[in-house]
Amino acid sequence: MIKVRLTQEQKKGRMGVLFLAPWLIGFLLLFALPIVESLKYSLSQLELTAEGMSLHFIGLENFKTAFLEHPAYNRILTESIVDMLVNVPLIIFFSLFSATLLNQKFRFRGLARAIFFLPVILASGALLGVEGGDIMQSVMQSANSEQGGNLSLLQSFELERMLIQSGANESVVAYLTDAVNRIYEIISRSGVQILIFLAGLQSISPSLYEAARIEGATGYEAFWKITFPVISPLILTNLIYSIIDAFSSNKMTRLIQETAFKTFDFGLSSAMSWIYFMCISVILFILYMLIARKVFYYD
Amino acid sequence: MRFVARLASLRLQSKVNRSVWGDLLLFLFLAVFGAFMALPLVYSINNAFKPLDELFLFPPRFFVRNPTMSNFTDLFHLLSNSWVPFLRYAFNTVFITAVGTIGHVLLASAAAFPLAKHKFRGNKILFSVIVLALMFSPHVTAIPNYMVIGQLGWIDTYSAIIIPAFAFPLGLYLMKQFMEQIPDALMEAAKIDGASEYRIFWTIVMPLVKPAWLTLTILLFQILWGTDGGTMIYSEKLKTLNYALGQIVSGGIARAGAGAAVALLLMSVPILLFVFTQSKIIQTMATSGMKE
Repeated sequence: MIKVRLTQEQKKGRMGVLFLAPWLIGFLLLFALPIVESLKYSLSQLELTAEGMSLHFIGLENFKTAFLEHPAYNRILTESIVDMLVNVPLIIFFSLFSATLLNQKFRFRGLARAIFFLPVILASGALLGVEGGDIMQSVMQSANSEQGGNLSLLQSFELERMLIQSGANESVVAYLTDAVNRIYEIISRSGVQILIFLAGLQSISPSLYEAARIEGATGYEAFWKITFPVISPLILTNLIYSIIDAFSSNKMTRLIQETAFKTFDFGLSSAMSWIYFMCISVILFILYMLIARKVFYYD
Repeated sequence: MRFVARLASLRLQSKVNRSVWGDLLLFLFLAVFGAFMALPLVYSINNAFKPLDELFLFPPRFFVRNPTMSNFTDLFHLLSNSWVPFLRYAFNTVFITAVGTIGHVLLASAAAFPLAKHKFRGNKILFSVIVLALMFSPHVTAIPNYMVIGQLGWIDTYSAIIIPAFAFPLGLYLMKQFMEQIPDALMEAAKIDGASEYRIFWTIVMPLVKPAWLTLTILLFQILWGTDGGTMIYSEKLKTLNYALGQIVSGGIARAGAGAAVALLLMSVPILLFVFTQSKIIQTMATSGMKE
């Protein structure tokens, strides 16, 4: 009996490897290998010579330089982590909110969804490619930041005074006003997350809601007892995605890029990104441990 | 949070009696935030139809006064005079985007299936490696990446763009998360009825995660559509549309009109695809027919 089950398991495992193999080969070759290479760079000094490049092993020298000698590294590192910690919960909240709204049936729903996805398209390479010497782009960007800036300044100013007068906790107020100031950034960064939540909401069976309604559940109860548990794995997904996304284009990555391609210090640049990478990993790990246990799976 | 819940609940009540206030609130929210996002698009649509004198008007005007098609005719003149036929650029982009997107969605789904639904040794470790790879900054791996592709002899071929696209960690990650939500009982039932793993994958798993792979299609399309070949492609005849149009714009002030037209053209394709795929997504009901 046990023997048969084992071979079944093994069969299943072999089948799994077969499904996995094509992707895995590509991944190891094109993603894992470069990452390992960059670790090697971070531990050495890279010199460009006539024959190509040569590596000298220098140990942790690059890491020391990043922490102790680089004028801006520590500051930018903390700034980008704090930024992320403020933005990500807001992005998750906003995108879940928008997705539940966009999942309802109303006229022009397709159009409304497209509009909420626009920032992702606008921010993509398709438009960055036509940047060079383009007045439109710069006007557009300044117009964007102006709209965002003006509106939010006005709002947060009013909000802050009101809340502090009403005796609210100051740090809470600071967080809230900061959130309002970031409104444009948050909206424009939640396109993909909205899409992921939408896909999740669409795979919830309507019969669950029907049953809940027949049993007399209110909409509020249905949200917390049905929508929220079913969508919770995707909250984790989006959390991780948002953290990664927040880290994929900020001051830190710009600094890393400049170090690599302007000052041509590839070793230092690699070391910087490895430190950075470790920081994100630790944050992700902690968050994952905290949330993964609360996530609900249908089985 | 209570506010969210109340709004979310509107969907449920709405089938019975749609409240006017709820509709109004919904509309208001969508209008305010929609405006934030739609304004740049509206602006660039208007720009594409502005004659030159209006494009350089200061302070710039949001809406066009005397709409003209001259920007588009200018653009086509420029394109028909280009050294490499314009259609070639268009073909390159379409080819890279189509093959890259389809290949990625297929391979990532196939790889996600065992990760989500089979237990084998190294399963968890493999998945955490993927998540870690997801957050590694692409700038850092730019040089090693170039060298790997160079050693494979793919520099200056379509493969340099397409094959790395197959192996992006993003798709696998998303597909795995969605597949995990499919109840095991559905697959067990199929297996008892004699379906092979291959059949289960195609007739049960993939239809159930349709919203997920349609979403992934949009994301990948959107990434690949914007590629300009970067450092990997340098033959003019293999360059992409994005690169060709970028060249037109870099012609300077005289090309501002054509540039505005270019921006609109480049933007419109992903938007149309988005609207199309979204209209294809319907409730998939992963858990319907389940009795516990």
